[in-house]
Amino acid sequence: MIEVTELKKFYNGVAVLDIPSLVIANGESFGLVGNNGAGKTTFFRLILDLIEASSGEVRVNGETVARRDEWKSYVGSFLDEGFLIDFLTPEEFFSFTGKVYGKSKEDITVFLESMTEFFNGEILGKRKFIRDLSKGNQKKVGIAAALIGDPQILILDEPFTALDPSSQIRLKRMLNELKATQNMTMLISSHDLNHVTDVCERIVVLEKGHIVNDIFTNEDTLKELEAYFAV
Amino acid sequence: MITFELFKHQWLKTYRAPGFHRNLVVNILLAISGLYFAAMLVLMGFIAPSILHDTLPDYQPVEAFNGLLLYIVLIIFALRFLMQPLNALDPTPYQILPIKRTRLINYLLLRPLFNPVNYAALLFMIPFAGNIAWKAPYHSGWAALRLLVITVLFVWFNILTASLLKRRYGSNPWAMAVIMLVAGILFLSEYFHVFSLFDISLRIFDFLIGNPFGWLIVAGLAGLSFVLNKRFFSQHQYAEKASKQASGGKSYLKKFSFTDRFGKEGSFISLILKLITRNKRTKSTLFVSILFLLYGLFFYPKKMYDDNYGFTFFIAMIATGSLMLMFGQWLISWNGSHFDCLMTKKMNADTYIRANYTLMMLFNILCFIVTTPYFFFGTKVIFLQVSAFLYNIGVNIFLLLYFASYNTKRLNLNEGSAMNYQGTTYKNFLIVLPVMIGPMAIIGIASIFGAEQVAIWVFAALGVIGVIFSKPLLTLCQRRFIQRKYALCEGFRKKE
Repeated sequence: MIEVTELKKFYNGVAVLDIPSLVIANGESFGLVGNNGAGKTTFFRLILDLIEASSGEVRVNGETVARRDEWKSYVGSFLDEGFLIDFLTPEEFFSFTGKVYGKSKEDITVFLESMTEFFNGEILGKRKFIRDLSKGNQKKVGIAAALIGDPQILILDEPFTALDPSSQIRLKRMLNELKATQNMTMLISSHDLNHVTDVCERIVVLEKGHIVNDIFTNEDTLKELEAYFAV
Repeated sequence: MITFELFKHQWLKTYRAPGFHRNLVVNILLAISGLYFAAMLVLMGFIAPSILHDTLPDYQPVEAFNGLLLYIVLIIFALRFLMQPLNALDPTPYQILPIKRTRLINYLLLRPLFNPVNYAALLFMIPFAGNIAWKAPYHSGWAALRLLVITVLFVWFNILTASLLKRRYGSNPWAMAVIMLVAGILFLSEYFHVFSLFDISLRIFDFLIGNPFGWLIVAGLAGLSFVLNKRFFSQHQYAEKASKQASGGKSYLKKFSFTDRFGKEGSFISLILKLITRNKRTKSTLFVSILFLLYGLFFYPKKMYDDNYGFTFFIAMIATGSLMLMFGQWLISWNGSHFDCLMTKKMNADTYIRANYTLMMLFNILCFIVTTPYFFFGTKVIFLQVSAFLYNIGVNIFLLLYFASYNTKRLNLNEGSAMNYQGTTYKNFLIVLPVMIGPMAIIGIASIFGAEQVAIWVFAALGVIGVIFSKPLLTLCQRRFIQRKYALCEGFRKKE
């Protein structure tokens, strides 16, 4: 469970994020939408303790995240290429990440087998460093590495961009399966309203750092969102 | 016109780089040291004839100089090959514009010729040539002028040939080994009178300068090098081809799996070893630290440093700690490009700091063992090296760890060359004061009062105390790191 209280972030005196209160329940799939600069990535970075909140706090499973390490055991995340170690091969990166989470070699092999469909034969055994992969394939590596430690909470920033259409569909299927089988809590931001309504049961719209809409997905949600973002 | 535009873009690229203005202090420091070296060169030009006369009294100063000149040309050539960055203008945005390929190639090749730094040799040559012009054996101003012309032509030849060889063999780690081997053979054969490059050099340059048209030969060499360069480019038209040759290779699968036995710290250390061997920047740092290991060879045997305990302690610190001192400056910042990754994975600050500490410790032990042959230079060297080693592992290691978190600039690991100051801030210079200059100065002062032994013992004792209290000291470094975490995250996210 993620609880946000009085969370504010200022840059040069301007509030880029201001969330008085927000609770994301266990097993909830939470979608975050908003135009560029709405504060989506800032929000995720605050949850992951990568930037310091100007005030307020984020608590994961009842414990604050700021300057702590406990939450790292059950939060998996991928925001951008800074979450990759680009001079490693994908295999080495998975093995490093797996070891950090205390996985054995066998665990890692089993995990990578479960990713076979998502990887579509483009990731493993290519003898390439991650820096030499395409943007889309780098994204697949990052998403898989976020899942390697069996997280209870998964945080992905725009996971669908840069993926090819088939991979987007595979990713959606995979996320829905994880939700159904492992009751994983998911926080996903996206510019693609179609995908995000397919995956998430709750959608929050951010605008200039404020929550302007908080809806549980139904058949009208997509239309509602499209109307909101129409120009 | 377009060539002019290209020059302008290059200048804008430098001037508009986000670090340029923020780095003003570093740039000023670099400029000051540049001026210092320029002044030294001019001074050398004036006093070189008398030095040459004293050291090689059998020859006229010009003859002695001619004899040494081939060595100088070769040394500069080797340095160029190792250090000269290849022209870094990224041609892709220009390749798709209707600019002729030959024009781009000419620009890439000839740009270094317009860099004034490359003509630093003239600072030495002009006073030197003026000094010797009317003396034996030439007695002519024309000879002096020819000497200057030949200098410029050799600069051109050196630049063009070094960059050709570098483009061709630069990514090959054996190139450095071959160069050092050849240099070693040349010096040894001169020393044992097997074969004298000095005599050959003397004859070649005597001819080139004495003959009114000798300079045409050097011009021809420079021209030939230019033509070969152009041919190389026409054969390797596509950037893709060249970069493929650069990556890949056998070092690819170096796994460092022996470190895995040490748990999380071990896998982090193996990560850093991969980082060092797979990135250009760190690879050239590695070469430089190997050169530092050899410092002792130059300074320990010299009589003039016998009583200068401060300086020899400084040399001992560099020799026994070269890996730590070179890489320790970039602790934490070398993880800049994947810092978010490390901070969100299940790796707590304690493990991170401890792993860095263990790695630095291993570096020091390695350097200490490798430099034990210096013990043959006498008990003084043993004494100095052991205490420098203790000081490095007990004090300097913690200073570097503690202050590492203040360097929040992202390092661009894919840009090589030994003269790379990207990511350097005034903080890098500040850390040198306590780490290196402090002990040197204190021992120097102590030796004025005849207490250098005591001072060195004190530094060794400080080192031992540091090792004993490593646990609380590490906790201190770790706390500092956690405090600085957000500043580090933010700094590393800014790309230059």
